[in-house]
Amino acid sequence: MKTYVLRRLLALIPVALVVATVGFVLIHLAPGDPASIIAGPDASAEDVGKIAQQLGFDQPLHVQLVRWYGRLLQGDLGRSIFLRKPVTAAILDRVEPTLLLTLAAVLIAVLIGVPAGVLSARYHNSATDQAFMMLALAGISIPNFLLGLLFVLVFGVWLGWFPVAGYSPLEDGWPATLRSLVLPAFALGLVQSALIARIARSSMLDVLREQFIVAGRAKGLGERAIVYKHALRNALVPTVTVIGISFAVLISGAVVVETVFNIPGLGRLIISAVLRRDYPVVQGVVLVIAGVYMLVNLLVDLSYLVIDPRVKYR
Amino acid sequence: MTRRGGGAGVLVLSLALLAGAPAVAEEPRAGGVLKAAMIGEPPSLDLHWTTAVITQQITWHVYETLYTYDRNYNAIPLLVEGHTLGDRGRTYTFRLRRGVRFHNGKELTSADVVASLSRWGRMATPGKAVWRNVEGLEAKDPSTVAMYLKEPSGALLMALARPNNGAAIYPKEIVDAAGDQQISQFVGTGPYRFVEHKPDRYIKLARFKDYVARPDGPEGFGGKRTAWVDEILFIPVPDVAVRLAGVETGEYHYAQQIKQDQFERIRAMAGVAPGVIKPAGWSTAVLNHKQGLMTDRRIRQAFQAALDMEPIMAAGFGHRAFYRVDPSLMHVEQAQWYSTVGAELYNQRNPAKAQKLLKEAGYTGQPVRWITTREYEWMYKNALVAKQQLEAVGFRIDLQVVDWATLVQRRNKPELWDAFSTGITFNPEPAYNTGVQCNWPGWWCHEDKERWLDAVARETDPRKRKAMWEKVQVLFYEDVGRVKFGDYFSLEVARKELRGFRSTPELNFWNVWLAPAR
Repeated sequence: MKTYVLRRLLALIPVALVVATVGFVLIHLAPGDPASIIAGPDASAEDVGKIAQQLGFDQPLHVQLVRWYGRLLQGDLGRSIFLRKPVTAAILDRVEPTLLLTLAAVLIAVLIGVPAGVLSARYHNSATDQAFMMLALAGISIPNFLLGLLFVLVFGVWLGWFPVAGYSPLEDGWPATLRSLVLPAFALGLVQSALIARIARSSMLDVLREQFIVAGRAKGLGERAIVYKHALRNALVPTVTVIGISFAVLISGAVVVETVFNIPGLGRLIISAVLRRDYPVVQGVVLVIAGVYMLVNLLVDLSYLVIDPRVKYR
Repeated sequence: MTRRGGGAGVLVLSLALLAGAPAVAEEPRAGGVLKAAMIGEPPSLDLHWTTAVITQQITWHVYETLYTYDRNYNAIPLLVEGHTLGDRGRTYTFRLRRGVRFHNGKELTSADVVASLSRWGRMATPGKAVWRNVEGLEAKDPSTVAMYLKEPSGALLMALARPNNGAAIYPKEIVDAAGDQQISQFVGTGPYRFVEHKPDRYIKLARFKDYVARPDGPEGFGGKRTAWVDEILFIPVPDVAVRLAGVETGEYHYAQQIKQDQFERIRAMAGVAPGVIKPAGWSTAVLNHKQGLMTDRRIRQAFQAALDMEPIMAAGFGHRAFYRVDPSLMHVEQAQWYSTVGAELYNQRNPAKAQKLLKEAGYTGQPVRWITTREYEWMYKNALVAKQQLEAVGFRIDLQVVDWATLVQRRNKPELWDAFSTGITFNPEPAYNTGVQCNWPGWWCHEDKERWLDAVARETDPRKRKAMWEKVQVLFYEDVGRVKFGDYFSLEVARKELRGFRSTPELNFWNVWLAPAR
């Protein structure tokens, strides 16, 4: 078990290297440069060149790549061109809203998705089942930015229950934070809940057809015990996988939702960094998000141990 | 506060923004936090470093310049008492106002002015243009600065008054510490002082309690500036729908760059008033005079002859209240500069002429690479309609739609394009108008034009200056310097409790106050 975890952790290194290289190459291949953005629309070409030189972007690409590797080995992600501070600090500044938003969205997705899936399976082919699955289909089909804008219109502008945009940090008190996260978390979480509901339903249906369920029924176990104690636990393995993937998907989905709701999180950070070609920030955030992705995957794999005692890692 | 244009020289700049305001003048009131929703983050807070408009809009509450504009866009003193002219117009001696303090408590002296202006002349795009004519700069005594010019200048004070990439006066020690790098402390003499910048959250300014205002009453952007509100938060809100919704719900007091097709809806909103910035600039296709197809004057003339501007502008700006088909390079609101010379070559709608010119030039369908962007939707739409009209006369247009960052980088490389879309933003001084500069992308360098443009910069008699500028405008159309589509206006919104605010091309929040929300 320990060797397994260690092996998995070591495997992160080559993956991170590939991500770092691809991230670097892609953003540098994209046309546009930070110097033109800083100089502004009325600047002449020579002004832009002067700024590029001051920023060190007149160096050949491979020199810049080697420098980036060198700093990376020391755990240094470089300095942001526009924020004028280390990328690590810029990322740490933005973790709070994205983390809270993602957690809230996962919570919403699980609390709605799992019960909806289980109930649909239990009352298979009933009106309840069909109603839930229709909603789920609608949920999967609606892009989260559209849902977000609809929420802004209805709950922000018309009803005035929640702020239309912005984020109130924890240091200003958690009730305000919660209020600012409700709309974006639902916009993000509802779509995922639909996916989770569908997976939970189909794995429950599979399990409910198993022989041990028939055996349970034969020995006179109540329907509740069968569904919630025996079937649900077995159906959880695929569901947890999807929840894990959801978490990762939500972090990237946050990019869109954070823009719509004007939340200063990692998503906004990467969007503005891409638009103004803040290379170090783009590279750093891509690397961090990839790292989170890989860690979540590992945690999901390890959670199988708890859920299903038959699973063993060596 | 509505201003209506009357006689010559008066600018009509705003619609009735405060439609619901009481007829009797209301007493301004101190206090409150003004929240302004901006389109994004400034690329720098060093005004000498960038021509980005958003940097100017935020930082000119903090930094001040020696001169500023009155309501007719003439230069008037701000940090100076005035100046005297000597050596047949080649020596300017500026007398600084006494007792003016920086936000760090230090008193403004000539040493700060010399350090700041020298850096501006070295770094800033307009500064460099001015410095070509500067021989020396000298602090005569703590409150006197002398500037020695090679030739007299009719545009110097206008250049010193210009807020964009402007000649901001910083404390000398901050200039010395920064050198040519960006400054790291944001200290000026303005009515508001810089408090903090939380990227993607806000830039916070607060009232500078030791601000020394000019004794004269408010006049245009100058005169007495009063910081009524305690704090201003400039909040970056990149999504236009969210900016508008935020003002509608009262989350922000002000939002800039709203889509013009929302105008009617906003007029019906309670508590919110639209503001029309008129003029904001002119939309244009910049042609490449340095390399490729467009170096052939006949092809440029064909391009110009083919176009019908009305549908091009209508597609770009949606509502009739937001565009105007007009040939003048300086807007009609700038009566001292407005002119229709060369107009017969504007908006020609003459496909036959275009075809004839193309044939003479031996054009055989080589693709015209036109870079445009959807980041400014109107640029894309202008280009799309123009493309159709141009293709109807035989041009082949290869429209390349890229993001703004790509456009501004590629336009510096003459081998990559034949035309690109942009807007020439409102500029009160023709000598520094980007629309006709030779060292700017497009590289429209023309012997006679340069001579007349130099003359405009040097001449001090307004009547002669205008006649010289008209020569430039005639050449603009004859030689097709750029292709002007038309004037555009932009839309901003403000809550009605924001009082004293007027919609101008130069956004500012001094002399505005917040009435209690109803």
